[in-house]
Amino acid sequence: MHMEKNPAIPDAAAGPAVYRQYARQWLGAHLPAHMRADSVDYRTPTLDECRDWEASMYEAGLAGMTWPKAHGGLGLTLREHLVVNKEVGALAMPESVSSIGKELAGPIIQTVGTEEQKQLFLPRILSMRDYWCQGFSEPDAGSDLARLRTKAVPEGDSWRINGQKIWTSGAAKARYCLLLTRTGSVADKHRGLLMFAVPMDTPGIRVVPIKSIDGKVSFAEVFFDNVVVPDSARLGAPDEGWNAAIRVLSIERATNRMYRAWRFDCELRQLVAACKSDPQLSRLLDDGSYQRRIGDVVGEIDALKGLVEQTVNRMMAGDRIGARGSLTKLYWSECHQAFAGLALALVSHVNPRSSALAQRARKHFTTAYFYARAETIYAGTTEVQLDIIAQRIMNLPKDLT
Amino acid sequence: MSISDNDLQPEEFAQAAAEAIQDAQTRDFRGAAQVLARAGLCGVCALEDAGGLALGIEFALPIVAEAGKLRLHWPLLENLLIAKALGDSPLATELASGERVATWALQGSLQDAFAGHVRHARDCDWVLVADGRGGGALLDLRTVEIQDDEALDPEHPQSWLMLDGAKVLAELDAATFAALQRDSHILIAGFVNGAAEAALATTAGYMSTRVQFERPLSAKQAVRHLLARMRLLQEASSAGIQRVLDTDEYGKLRDSRPVLANALGNAAFVLEKSIHLHGGMGFTWEVPLHYALREVRKFDAAFGAGALASQVGRDFIQTV
Repeated sequence: MHMEKNPAIPDAAAGPAVYRQYARQWLGAHLPAHMRADSVDYRTPTLDECRDWEASMYEAGLAGMTWPKAHGGLGLTLREHLVVNKEVGALAMPESVSSIGKELAGPIIQTVGTEEQKQLFLPRILSMRDYWCQGFSEPDAGSDLARLRTKAVPEGDSWRINGQKIWTSGAAKARYCLLLTRTGSVADKHRGLLMFAVPMDTPGIRVVPIKSIDGKVSFAEVFFDNVVVPDSARLGAPDEGWNAAIRVLSIERATNRMYRAWRFDCELRQLVAACKSDPQLSRLLDDGSYQRRIGDVVGEIDALKGLVEQTVNRMMAGDRIGARGSLTKLYWSECHQAFAGLALALVSHVNPRSSALAQRARKHFTTAYFYARAETIYAGTTEVQLDIIAQRIMNLPKDLT
Repeated sequence: MSISDNDLQPEEFAQAAAEAIQDAQTRDFRGAAQVLARAGLCGVCALEDAGGLALGIEFALPIVAEAGKLRLHWPLLENLLIAKALGDSPLATELASGERVATWALQGSLQDAFAGHVRHARDCDWVLVADGRGGGALLDLRTVEIQDDEALDPEHPQSWLMLDGAKVLAELDAATFAALQRDSHILIAGFVNGAAEAALATTAGYMSTRVQFERPLSAKQAVRHLLARMRLLQEASSAGIQRVLDTDEYGKLRDSRPVLANALGNAAFVLEKSIHLHGGMGFTWEVPLHYALREVRKFDAAFGAGALASQVGRDFIQTV
């Protein structure tokens, strides 16, 4: 599909080096300076600017790498996906405004959706025509989805949905919600869970934005009051859809935002460059304790890149990745959160007479410090990841039997 | 160990290496040399003309990882690296065959007439030291004054060497010595990570069977989470070590020092917590975890106890 649209996209058969060179050149040439977080010309891009940028990346063959050609993707392997992600990470570009669609809803629909649903939803996600939000967490059911209460009741060819979701990222802009409900009662625990693709303009849906500590309004409470959707909105049968989603999620935990290790590297360079641009901050870099901490971060980034590449190699070899995605997620989130603290300490020395780059870095890394609080919470908290490692990787027994 | 299959994978070396190392641990120093050499471990990277297997450093990595796991007190990684660096010299043949054993001074230089952080100096024949001009020099240990430093390990002390009048047996040029140093970083990282992996396995096993209040200690969340953190760091080290074996996206060698610094820190954490989780028993001489911790701390001290990470930081700052 892409190949017909854009003849500049290299043939994957030419090898990863060719694709890497293409991705690097295209991204470097097309990313506007005002969207580069390490540029003095930076200003917070609007949602439409971010959408247009991601749509142009898709047109250039730099998104949907592993999605089937029949559904708008390039039909390539994780190898090319990794190659592109390294180059995406190497530039200080905005985070995706459609990560729920591209990294969660899309892969789940590919696994459990009907062909009609795939044709309807997938190309529009990649081309940035539809945003999605994730309706899993509830006030009383976050990591423990056995306590999920939002209920779906069949009514002829439709389903009536009642309940409440929370921490729903991007709900205000989303066209669809990947909604998890239950068909029975809470006593059923993990049985009877059912997923839907619910249009957010369906009557009965109310979105209440929540302001987060980074000052943004990026997530919300979403109320479902007698929301009626057709049976065609259902993703898989009860249990089937959710069980497949669990499998997808374990893979996604290992493969989503694959660029993070390389972006981490990029951020460290931005921080050091900003310090070197300013006489006062530059002197801090002569301090042995800062040198030591920067050296430690370099070692952590190397190990993180190793974990990501190891995952890709194993998956390319056909190995089951199982719970190992938790290792990458946990290592990244804790190391990156600690780095945000280091960055804050350095940019705290910025004053009105500091260099323009240092002033830019202060804004960027102060926001990053606050946003980093979320990194050990979302996509499974640190404690959940530790539980997974203990239970599923180390097989540590909980009783004597 | 015989190499008859060109498709042999590095990880397949681990089991054969473990058997040879366990055999070597039942023998005296010279007997161990013979066992390890016969198994091909001493010459795994040495040229075939020198009696070696001429394999890459990736094949030595699982061998030294097993040495770390099994707490081998023998300078295997030093010996196999020096045998590699000596090329087709007859000296390399002597090392690969187990006839002679060499070790390495990780600090000091011939120019300073002083070197240190040498493992097993009193048992070895030769020692490699920096020459102070970028290269290396292999010295006859009989011509060197040895002073043991028992602070970190009284049973297997590191040694300081006074090099006045030392006899030079061979010289390594700067390029060869630099390549050898890079290889040593990777193998030392592999060795200490192997030590951490074994300690973690021992500790997880103990926590799974040690009962308190009618449940295994591994049932307690604080214990489970600490063990999971230990596993995370050990896996992160492994991933970094494997990655540094490959060239980067542009065919250039990757810097081995960040990986070593990370592995040293992670291994020390895992071993310290392994001792902690064993309770009072972990504090005793009989539980052998302290041997592994001493070995990790000896290497850490040899690289300046944090100085390596600081140097990595300084170099990174320079590249920006």
